[in-house]
Amino acid sequence: MTQVFEPAKPIWCAGCGDFGVQASLQKALSETGTNLNDVVIVAGIGCSGTIQNNIPTYGYHSLHGRTLPSAIGVKLANPKLTVIAAGGDGDGYAIGMGHLIHTFKRNPSILYIIMNNETYGLTKGQYSPTSNPGFEGNVENGMDGILVGLGVPSTTFLARGFAGAPAQLTRLLTDGLTHVQSGKGFAFVEVLSPCVTYNDTYKLWKNITYDVDSDTNFNPRDKIGSYTTVINKREEGKIPIGLIYSADHPSLEQVSVDDQEKGPALQDISLASNMDRYEAVMKTFLG
Amino acid sequence: MESSRTTVDEDICIMVGGQGGDGSLTVTALLAGLFRRRGLNVYSSRNVLSRIKGGHADGVVRASRNNIKCLGDHVKVVVAFDEEAVLATKDDLDPNATIIFDSSAGELDPKLVDNTVKIYNIPFTKLILAEIRRELFKNSASFAVVGRLLGFPDEEMLQSLNSRYGAKAAPILENNIRAFKIGLEWAGKNGLTAADSTSPNTVDVKQKLLMTGNEAVSYGLLVGGVRFFAGYPITPATDVMEYLQKWFPKFGGVVKQAEDELSAINMALGAALAGARSVIATSGPGLSLIHEGMGQAGAAEIPLVIVDTQRAGPSTGLPTKIEQSDLQTLVYGGHGEFPRFVLTPGSVEDCFNIGRLAPNLAEMYQLPVIIAMDLGICQNTVTIESLDLHSGKIDRGKRLTAEDLAKMPVYGRYSFTDDGVSPYTVPSTENGRFLITGNEHNEFGHVNTDKLNRVKMMEKRSIKMKSALKDLPRGTVYGDESSKIGFIGIGSTYGVILEAMGLLAKEGVSSKYYKPLTILPLEDAIGSFLDGCDEVYVVEQNQSGQLSNLITLKFGRHKQLHNILRFDGNLFRPREISQRVLQIREKQSAIVH
Repeated sequence: MTQVFEPAKPIWCAGCGDFGVQASLQKALSETGTNLNDVVIVAGIGCSGTIQNNIPTYGYHSLHGRTLPSAIGVKLANPKLTVIAAGGDGDGYAIGMGHLIHTFKRNPSILYIIMNNETYGLTKGQYSPTSNPGFEGNVENGMDGILVGLGVPSTTFLARGFAGAPAQLTRLLTDGLTHVQSGKGFAFVEVLSPCVTYNDTYKLWKNITYDVDSDTNFNPRDKIGSYTTVINKREEGKIPIGLIYSADHPSLEQVSVDDQEKGPALQDISLASNMDRYEAVMKTFLG
Repeated sequence: MESSRTTVDEDICIMVGGQGGDGSLTVTALLAGLFRRRGLNVYSSRNVLSRIKGGHADGVVRASRNNIKCLGDHVKVVVAFDEEAVLATKDDLDPNATIIFDSSAGELDPKLVDNTVKIYNIPFTKLILAEIRRELFKNSASFAVVGRLLGFPDEEMLQSLNSRYGAKAAPILENNIRAFKIGLEWAGKNGLTAADSTSPNTVDVKQKLLMTGNEAVSYGLLVGGVRFFAGYPITPATDVMEYLQKWFPKFGGVVKQAEDELSAINMALGAALAGARSVIATSGPGLSLIHEGMGQAGAAEIPLVIVDTQRAGPSTGLPTKIEQSDLQTLVYGGHGEFPRFVLTPGSVEDCFNIGRLAPNLAEMYQLPVIIAMDLGICQNTVTIESLDLHSGKIDRGKRLTAEDLAKMPVYGRYSFTDDGVSPYTVPSTENGRFLITGNEHNEFGHVNTDKLNRVKMMEKRSIKMKSALKDLPRGTVYGDESSKIGFIGIGSTYGVILEAMGLLAKEGVSSKYYKPLTILPLEDAIGSFLDGCDEVYVVEQNQSGQLSNLITLKFGRHKQLHNILRFDGNLFRPREISQRVLQIREKQSAIVH
C-alpha cells in the first residue's frame, strides 16, 4: 500500500484539553463507521489548529480565522465528504467571528469543533474573546458562542462539551458527526479545553459546568427554553454543557448543489462531453 | 423642417446621455443590436456613477465597416435628455454632428455647440408624461427618432423592441411600443421619414458575436472547466458572478455569494483542494482583502484563478471608472514570496482564450493565476467573428487517481520534482490522503522549520515560474514590424493604440505595437521588442507607469522610453495618443537639431 503521511505526535503540552478532544473525535469517527478517506479536517491557526496532523484523514491547515469558509468550499465542491472544521476560540470568535455567524445562517453540513481555552496559548497567554474580565488585563466581558448560535434563525445543532468529561464529549461529537453525515446541516460543538500552561481551568470548569443532558426538564428542541437556561445558568456563574439546541433546516449543500452525487469537484469537464451545451451558450451572444 | 439623414459611411459614433435611470444605456444597446444585424462592427461603452438612480450617465455606441476596437475620437450623433449630457460630450463632438435634445425644459441653447451642428428639439419627457404618465418610457421615443435619423426601417426597430421587452410583463412592452410610436410621429414632424427596408447601411448578413470582456472571460472560464465560483458583489467584477450563476446549473457548478472577499477566496481555496476548478473575481478594495488568500494559494500550492477587474483606486476610489493601477500589487502584493502568473487580455478574444487557459495553468502548476482585466475591457461591448471552442484542451496536471497511487510506493503532497510540480490528489481518493498547509512544510505536508528544507521548498515553488514558460500565453506584434517606433500597452489600451497607429500612419509615421499577454513572468519578447525600437511609448491608465516600471526593472531603461498616462477615470482616445507621440517627437527633434 502507498505510504502517505504518518500522523504526527501532538505538539500540545502534557495535560492540554486538546488531547481529550482528539481522542473523542477519533472515537466518534470510529463509532460512526466513517471511512477516513472521505474525511477532510480543516483546521485553523493556533494550538488546536494542529489536530489534523495527528489523524489519518485528509487535512487542510487553513488561514487564521478562515476555517469555516474553507470548509464550506470543500463541502460545496463535494457534498459526499465528511468535513470537520477545528480551531480555537481566537480563530473562531475573534478573527473568524464574521464567518461563524454566516455559517450558522448558511447551515452547511460541517462539524465545527471549537476548542475554547479562554486564552491565546500559542502566543503566550493573552486574553481571548471568551476570557473573563481581569484575565491578563482584560476589561471586557467574555462572549458565548452558543448564544450567538441561538440568535441565528437557521441554526440546527449547538452543543458544548468539556475535555474533562470525555464520555459525554465523545457522544456529542458522535451526534454532531451523525448530524452532518445525514445532511442536516451545521453541527457546532464548543469544547471547554483548558490550557494547562496559561489558563488552567480544569478544576474551575469541573465545578461550574452544568450538564443539561442530565436535566430531565431540559428540551433541546425548545429554543426559548434553551435560551432561558443558558442565560440563567450564566447569570448563576455556571457554564451549560451538553446538547443545548437542535432543530431542522435545509442544509446549504442541499439548496446550493444541483448534482449531489458529484458536486462541482467530480464533474466531467472534458470538452467533448460538454460541447453541445457550450455551443448553446455561445448562441446567446449572437444577435 | 428639412431632413438630414445620417448614415454609416465608414464609421459612426452615437452618444446617448442623461441622468441615471433615463434609459440611455438601453438605447445604445438597441442601436448596437441593429448595427450588428446589419453586419457592422460595433464597440460600445457605458459611463455611469456608483448609484442606482440619478447623476450623469451615458452610453456610447460606435459602428463601422472597419474592425474597430475602441470608441474613436468623434461623436456624430447625440441623444441628450438634458443639457449636462450635451456638455459631457461637447469636446468630442464632430463639427457636423446631430443632437436630438429633450426640450421638455426648454430648447437647447444653440450657442453651446458649433453652428454647424444640427439640433432637433423634441420634448420627450413632456410627451411621454402626457400620454403614458411614466417618464421612463421616453427612451423608446428617442430610440424611434435616432433610429430614423440613422436610416433604420421602422419595422426593424420595432422588432428589436419586441425582442428586448417581449419576455417582460405585457404593459412594459405595450408602453414601450406606444412611446416608440410617439417618437416616430415626432420624427416625421421633424422631417425624418421612414426608411425603406433596403437600407444603404447593410454590409453583410454574417452573424457576429457581441460580447463584453466580462462575458468573454466568464465564458472562457466555463469552457475551461471552472465549476466553482465564490465572490462578493463589487463593480465591475459582479458580472462574472452573474454570468456563471446563469450558466452553472446546466454544468453542475456552484456559485456562492460570500459575506466578504476574505470568505470568498477561502471558499474557493477549499473547493479547489477538494478538486473543483475554482475562481474568484474581484476589484478595488476586494483585491486588497484577498491578498492573504493569494499567498495561501502560493504557499500551500492550491490551484486558483483570480480575476481582477481593475477600477480606479485607491480605497473606494472611482468605483465605476477605469484604471490599470493594480499591476504592481498583482505582481508583488502579499507578504512573503510566492509564485503566481499575471495574465493581461487585451481583446475580447484574449479574454475568452485566457479565461479558458487559466484553469489549466492553475492545476498544472498549483498556484494562483491572476487575470488582470480593466473596467474598459470588462464592460465595453465588441463584435467579434467567432470563438474557436474546439482548439482548447483540458489539462489537469499531475492529478493522481487511486490506480496511479497503487503503483507508487510513497505519496507526499509536496514531493520534490525537477519542474517543482508535485503530483496531487483530491479527497476521497483511496490511499491519497494529504496534508495541505501554508506553514512551511516537508514533502508530506508536516510543518517543518529546518533551514535546508525551507530553502528547497522555496526553490521548488519558485522553479514553477520557469517550468511554465512553455505554457504561458504570449503577446503579438501589430503594425509595421520594420518600424523603429514602438508602442506597448495592455487591456483596453489595445484598441486605442491600434487606432492611434492608423492616425499616425496618415501623418507619415509608421509604428508597431507589442501587446503582452503575460506580465508575470514578464515576457522575454518585450525585451527583443525594445531592442528593435529607437523610441518606445508605453501607454497606461495609471499615474506612475506601473507597466513601464516592470519592464524597466527587467530589461533596463530603454534609451527613449516615454510614458503616455491617463488616470482621470476615462478611457484614452486614439487622437490623444497620436498627438502626444507627435508632440514628443517634435520636442525630441528640436533637441537633436
